[in-house]
Amino acid sequence: MTVILQNLHGNHACAMGAIAAGCRFFAGYPITPSSEIAERMSRELPLVGGTFVQMEDEIASIAAVLGASAGGIKSMTATSGPGFSLKQENIGLAAAAEIPCVIANVMRGGPSTGTPTRPAQGDIMQARWGSHGDRPVIALAPASVKEVYDQTIRAFNLSERYRMPVVLLFDQVISHLLEPIELADMASLELVDRPWATGDSAGFEPYASTETGVPPMPRPGDGYRTHTTGLTHGEDGFPTQDPEVVTRATQRLLDKVENHRADIESYECHDTEDAEVLIVAYGISARAARAAVRRARGQGIAAGLFRPITIWPFPEEALKAAASKAKAILVPEMNAGQLVLEIERIVGHDLPVAGLNRIDGQAINPDEILQRIKELAAK
Amino acid sequence: MNEITPDKFEIRDYLRLDLMPHFMCPGCGHGIALRALLWAVHELGIDKDNLAIVSGIGCSGRVGAYIDANTYHVTHGRPLAFATGLKLARPDLKVIVITGDGDCLAIGGNHLIHACRRNLDITCLMLNNEVYGMTGGQVSPTTAETRLTTTTPAGNSEPAFDACKLAEAAGAGLVGREVTMQTPALRNLIKEGLAYEGFSFLEVMSDCTEIYGRKNDLGDSAEMVLAQKSDMRPEAYTNSAEQPFRPNRLVTGILARNDRPEYGDTYRRQAAALCGEGDDAA
Amino acid sequence: MSIETIAAEADAVTADALTRNVLIVGVGGQGVIMISKVLALLCQTQGLQVKQSEVHGMAKRGGVVFSHVRFGAKAGDPVWSPTIPMGEADVLIAMEWAEGVRWLPFLRADTGVFIADTQQVIPPFACRNRDFFAEPAYATETPSEIVGQVSDGFALDAGRMAEELGNARAANTILLGTLSASLDFPLDDWLSVLNQFVPKGTEEINRRAFLLGRDWVETPRENPAMPAPTPALPIARPGIDVRLEITRSWCKSCDICVKLCPERCLDLDDQQIVRLKDPDACTGCRICEWLCPDFAIAVHHETPERPHSA
Repeated sequence: MTVILQNLHGNHACAMGAIAAGCRFFAGYPITPSSEIAERMSRELPLVGGTFVQMEDEIASIAAVLGASAGGIKSMTATSGPGFSLKQENIGLAAAAEIPCVIANVMRGGPSTGTPTRPAQGDIMQARWGSHGDRPVIALAPASVKEVYDQTIRAFNLSERYRMPVVLLFDQVISHLLEPIELADMASLELVDRPWATGDSAGFEPYASTETGVPPMPRPGDGYRTHTTGLTHGEDGFPTQDPEVVTRATQRLLDKVENHRADIESYECHDTEDAEVLIVAYGISARAARAAVRRARGQGIAAGLFRPITIWPFPEEALKAAASKAKAILVPEMNAGQLVLEIERIVGHDLPVAGLNRIDGQAINPDEILQRIKELAAK
Repeated sequence: MNEITPDKFEIRDYLRLDLMPHFMCPGCGHGIALRALLWAVHELGIDKDNLAIVSGIGCSGRVGAYIDANTYHVTHGRPLAFATGLKLARPDLKVIVITGDGDCLAIGGNHLIHACRRNLDITCLMLNNEVYGMTGGQVSPTTAETRLTTTTPAGNSEPAFDACKLAEAAGAGLVGREVTMQTPALRNLIKEGLAYEGFSFLEVMSDCTEIYGRKNDLGDSAEMVLAQKSDMRPEAYTNSAEQPFRPNRLVTGILARNDRPEYGDTYRRQAAALCGEGDDAA
Repeated sequence: MSIETIAAEADAVTADALTRNVLIVGVGGQGVIMISKVLALLCQTQGLQVKQSEVHGMAKRGGVVFSHVRFGAKAGDPVWSPTIPMGEADVLIAMEWAEGVRWLPFLRADTGVFIADTQQVIPPFACRNRDFFAEPAYATETPSEIVGQVSDGFALDAGRMAEELGNARAANTILLGTLSASLDFPLDDWLSVLNQFVPKGTEEINRRAFLLGRDWVETPRENPAMPAPTPALPIARPGIDVRLEITRSWCKSCDICVKLCPERCLDLDDQQIVRLKDPDACTGCRICEWLCPDFAIAVHHETPERPHSA
């Protein structure tokens, strides 16, 4: 059975994707432009045996999400820039204690309260470095309503598989975009559940490494009676300052992402095989870039688009392959230049990397990108 | 699992023995509070497998780790928010929050008032030792006026919170206070809180002997315990300038009861009604 | 002065002005920081460059306290790093026996001076053996073994010496005196700096304690004997069905039980661990059990029976 939902709103697609993924707990706090995710969840969750709660603040929302997930329920919250900032400490706890959760961050202009009703892509680096210390990060950047739905499901799957927080980064334009989308047959969806601890509770070590590097999670009530802490802990779950154990524990967290890049990385290449000017764009900016590339091709310029869907970890090798024929790279972003730093790090020593930045709360349009493509092609 | 005999309370049945002795300072009242809590858990026959302890940061935050249960040591100030998610997701678990005066009233103050208002079935045990002990003895929201701490070198000039009045005003289902010296009475109070269907806020007057007591010449551990009975915290909880707080008339026991529907129960009833299988049509 | 100038001057003076490294170790509350502050100020009054780096985060919870003091040339600053590398401490002064043993690898193998108090402070959460009734695990090295291993070693019972002098709290000043014998500063300067750190009214006893320590090092002598641990185990009382089960390794000597026992039948033994001194007086009222923050006492009203027989 294929269900067709006409004109689904980006934020509603996120909520519906979460329900499809098995999310049964949502805690949130009202914040523009993400509030419709909470509103939709408050209506949908009771119908499927789930729980919605509006908490007293942004920090409480993520803390409640961690509590529910620690209880064994797939959980998420949604927010925007200021709320994302407030949630960072607890996102670190989710990474350290390996509690799966999904955070949808609908980006708006900033800093501070910024431009709540205008789009931006200002949280790329916050998603990577916002919480203190070394921790693994997965962030996904959908570029359409359909992709918001799909990537929300994928965010839950990755979060469960690797027992870590996964961030969805999209922006005000996509969140309030209505697009006709076709939703997959629920039965055909591949859904992932976190590895659960089974077997003898005696001597069980909740953070012992496994072949995948992801330890099975003890479900409260199953008799394991383990300790969960944000203090750096050993395999037994109890805090330690032993330099060897601390190194091993932190490295394992990082390796969960590093060793599974093939599974986590996702991206799209458009006309990159022979591209001399390569655009690297994500989210709403990638849609404009796609149009610009088409127009450039129409004018005989070998332009191409590399669109990372997984922003963190950045698909490095795929970018290098896509840039193999490139003479210049252009990174259009709705910020003062964030992802461009990562692109410079990856290919900047071989190629000139330029940014195209808007910080005025307006989406980048195809003509602007086309103009820069022409300039770069002429060099 | 250890065999637990119903009548005789053996604290070792509820402790993670391989972590003992615990790391609290000599004479720290938190240990006595922990005994009272585990005693209450024992007498109510709560299954350790279904017991979840959530704590924040600070000396109080480290108490939970010694309990042989599902224990969560989360971010500073957030145990009530974490526990809210846990209890809503898993109503079958018995959820207890162990927090401190700084964790619960300062950085986590917002969560406390909303947890009281929401009335979810959680027992919040606030161990009040009047000081930030873990960080070396800074002033806390319950430090009595004039007391010396490492950040009030001239004596504390801020009035202290009356946490129980705060919880009562915010709508907590059950509010109580007890001192660690009255261990059996404290156990009884915690039993009341655990048995209450709704949010119970219990303030435990605990002693920080090594840092706060020493800094303020409150005597050794035993003297501080004794003082709980007679002249406890002379400057705390001043009602007004004319009506100074009378520590020897400090009210303990159950201070407020506000019976209201339990939040999780209400939510699930409403959800069932939305699904068309509600039983509250009448 | 620019970094470059400092570095150049440092190079110039390094040859004739060797950096001296003093490592002071102990556990919380012993006065490690006081000793290092006296030394650091003394160095300053001598016109030396000095760096002092200390860690005392968990001191109140029985944790380790240590302080690195490095000082050197009168001009420039050849002391760049505030911490002492392994094997480069000229003097290791330990206010607690096991800490001294633990830090030994930091001492210069050829010329290092080792000074240790033989006092044992057994940290409550560092006990390796946590079986009930187990004696706490603790450094087994004896003073004579260690003193024999180092180039210049001294192990003294400063606590007892201070008690005999009339103030047990002066033990750290005695150790400061022993340290002074290994460093080349005028005695009068030591004493005047010390005076600035001791509480008012205790100047004279601290001066005597200082000189006692200094003389002790300068006079060759045998090592003092360490106090022998005396076990105090559960006492079964004949005829009465009350038994106190004391978990020695959990007791932190807070004294609550001793002072709040209505019958006054408890006390602390010479290792500061609770014991039932007067079994006949015990009524089994449980107050000690209830008020022990460390769960070290269990009162049994049944026929005595050890839960774990050896």
